[in-house]
Amino acid sequence: MYIYLPIAEVSVNLIVLFGMGGAVGILSGMFGVGGGFLMTPLLIFYGIPPIVAVATEANQIVASSISGVVAHWRRRAVDFKMGTVLLIGGIIGSFVGIELFSLLKNVGQIDLMISLAYVLLLGSIGSLIFIEGIRAIINKRNDKMTHTRKRKERTWAHTLPFRIRFKKSGLYISVIPPIAIGIFVGILASIMGVGGGFVMVPAMIYLLRMPTNIVIGTSLYQIIFVTSLVTILHAYQNQTVDVMLAIILMSGGVVGAQIGAFLGHKLKAEQLRFLLGVLILAVCAKMLIELVAEPQNIYVIADVLL
Amino acid sequence: MSCYSFIKILTVVLVCIVFSSKIHATVSEVESDLVFQLDDPHIQIGSNFFGEELLIFGAFSSSDLSKSDIIIKVRGASKSISVREKVKKYGIWVNSDDTIIDNVPSYYAIYSNRNIQRITAKNFLEENQIGLEHLRFVSNEKNQNSNIYKEIIKKNKEEGIFMEKYTGVRIVGDKLFRASIQLPKDINEGSYEVTIYFFDDQKLVDRDTSKVFVNKTLAGKYIYTQAKERPLLYGIICVVIAWIAGLSVAGLSRAR
Repeated sequence: MYIYLPIAEVSVNLIVLFGMGGAVGILSGMFGVGGGFLMTPLLIFYGIPPIVAVATEANQIVASSISGVVAHWRRRAVDFKMGTVLLIGGIIGSFVGIELFSLLKNVGQIDLMISLAYVLLLGSIGSLIFIEGIRAIINKRNDKMTHTRKRKERTWAHTLPFRIRFKKSGLYISVIPPIAIGIFVGILASIMGVGGGFVMVPAMIYLLRMPTNIVIGTSLYQIIFVTSLVTILHAYQNQTVDVMLAIILMSGGVVGAQIGAFLGHKLKAEQLRFLLGVLILAVCAKMLIELVAEPQNIYVIADVLL
Repeated sequence: MSCYSFIKILTVVLVCIVFSSKIHATVSEVESDLVFQLDDPHIQIGSNFFGEELLIFGAFSSSDLSKSDIIIKVRGASKSISVREKVKKYGIWVNSDDTIIDNVPSYYAIYSNRNIQRITAKNFLEENQIGLEHLRFVSNEKNQNSNIYKEIIKKNKEEGIFMEKYTGVRIVGDKLFRASIQLPKDINEGSYEVTIYFFDDQKLVDRDTSKVFVNKTLAGKYIYTQAKERPLLYGIICVVIAWIAGLSVAGLSRAR
C-alpha cells in the first residue's frame, strides 16, 4: 500500500513506515529511550531525504515525549525549575542549530554533516552502552555491586557563579552548566532530529548530580518544548516537515511503545542494554560504510529550488 | 476496479471507432492526415498515487503501411538541477561545489514503433530533441564534462522519469495506432507536452501537439501549498497535532 508524502515528495510503502515506527516504538518502550537517534537513520536508509527525515522526526518526538512526560508528572518526578533552565539553553541551541543547518544546506554539505554527526554520536553512545552491558553481565556473574557513586560530591558545576536553588533536585548550583547542556541538546535536536535525552540524562546525573528518579521526567519536559520549537523553525525556514510522514510514525510509535513496555518486563535489563548497544553500533556501521565506501553514484543530482 | 478498466477500454474502443470513421471522411479530402486523442488530459495525483498510464490513440492515413512510422514525444516542463561530484577527502566522500544544469525536462518519454534512428535522419532528431542522446542541456560551465549529462540521463532513466520505448507504439490495422505511456509515481505536477510525429518513407508528413495536465490533489497538494505558503502556521499545526497525539496516548494509557 503506497502513499505519497507531499513534502518528502516520494511514494512510500505505508506498511513499511508504520512497521518502522512500530519497531522503534518497541525499542523505546523496552529501553526507555526516545528513539529519534534510530528513527532518523532508518528513514534516511529508506530513502527519505535526510533534511526531511530530521525535521519530521523532531515533530514525532514531540508526541512521544508528551505521552512519556505525563506519567512522570503524575508521580511528581519533574523538576520544572531545572527543566526551564535547560529549556532556555535549548531555545538558544535550537536557533543556533537551525542557522547552522541552513548554512550547511546552502553549501550542499548538510547530508554529509547529518551522517557524520550520526556516526560520531551512535558510535560513542553505542560503545558506551555495549561496554556497560558487558560489564553488567560480568558483574552479575561475579555477584558484585556496581553502584558506588557518591551523589553529594561537588563538581565544577557547583563552583561557578549565578547559583540558584533547585528545590526539587535538592541542589544549589550555577545556572551555567544546565544552560550549556541545554544549548548542546538544542543544536543536536535541530541538526539530527533527536530529543537528546541520551546526552542530557547522563549529563544531569553525573555533571549536575541530580537525583536519578526525576532526571527522565525533567529531560522529557525540556525535550517537548525544544522539539516543538525545532519543528516550527524547520517548517518555517526549510519547509522540510512532512506532516503525513509524522502522523504515520506517531501512530506506529504508539503501538510499538505499548508492545515494547510489555516486552521490557519480560527480558533482563542487562541483556536489553547489550542488545541496544549492538543495534546502535550496527546502524552506526551502516552509516559509516556509506560515508567511506565508493559511492554508487559519483554525482549527486538535485533539483534547484527557485 | 476491473469494472472501471473495462469501461475505460470500452470508451477507447468506441472513440477509436468514431475517430476512424471521421478520418475516413477527412482522408478523402486531404491525402495524409494524423489525428490523435488522449484518453485523459487531466491526471490527478492523490495520496495513494503510484504511477499511471497515459493512453494515446489515434489514426493516420498512408499509402504504404510498411513505410509509415509514428514517434510520440512526451515532455514535462524544463527545470534546473544542481549536480555535485563526490570527491574523497580525508577518507570520506564529500560533495564538491555544484554545477547548475538548465533545460532538463522534468519528464521525458519517446515512444515509437521501431528504432528512431531508422525512422528518420539524425539531424531531424537532433533538431527536435527526439531521443535521450539529443536532449540539449545547458550548463553554467563552458566546457561541460559530458559525463554529467550521461549521469543525469542514467539517473532519470532508473527512476522512470526518462524513457525510450521503440516498441511502445502499436499500429493496429492499417490506420490506427495506440500507445500507453507510463507515468512514474514521483511525477511532478504541471503541464506535459505530447507531440506526435508521423513519418512516411522517412519524411515527416504531419505532427500534432497536445497538452496533458498533472495535478496533485487532495491532501497531498493542500499540504504542500500550506507548507510552502504559510510555513509558520504549518509548523505550528504540525506541533499541535503532535501535542494532541501525545496527550491522547497519555490519556488512553491512564484509562487502562
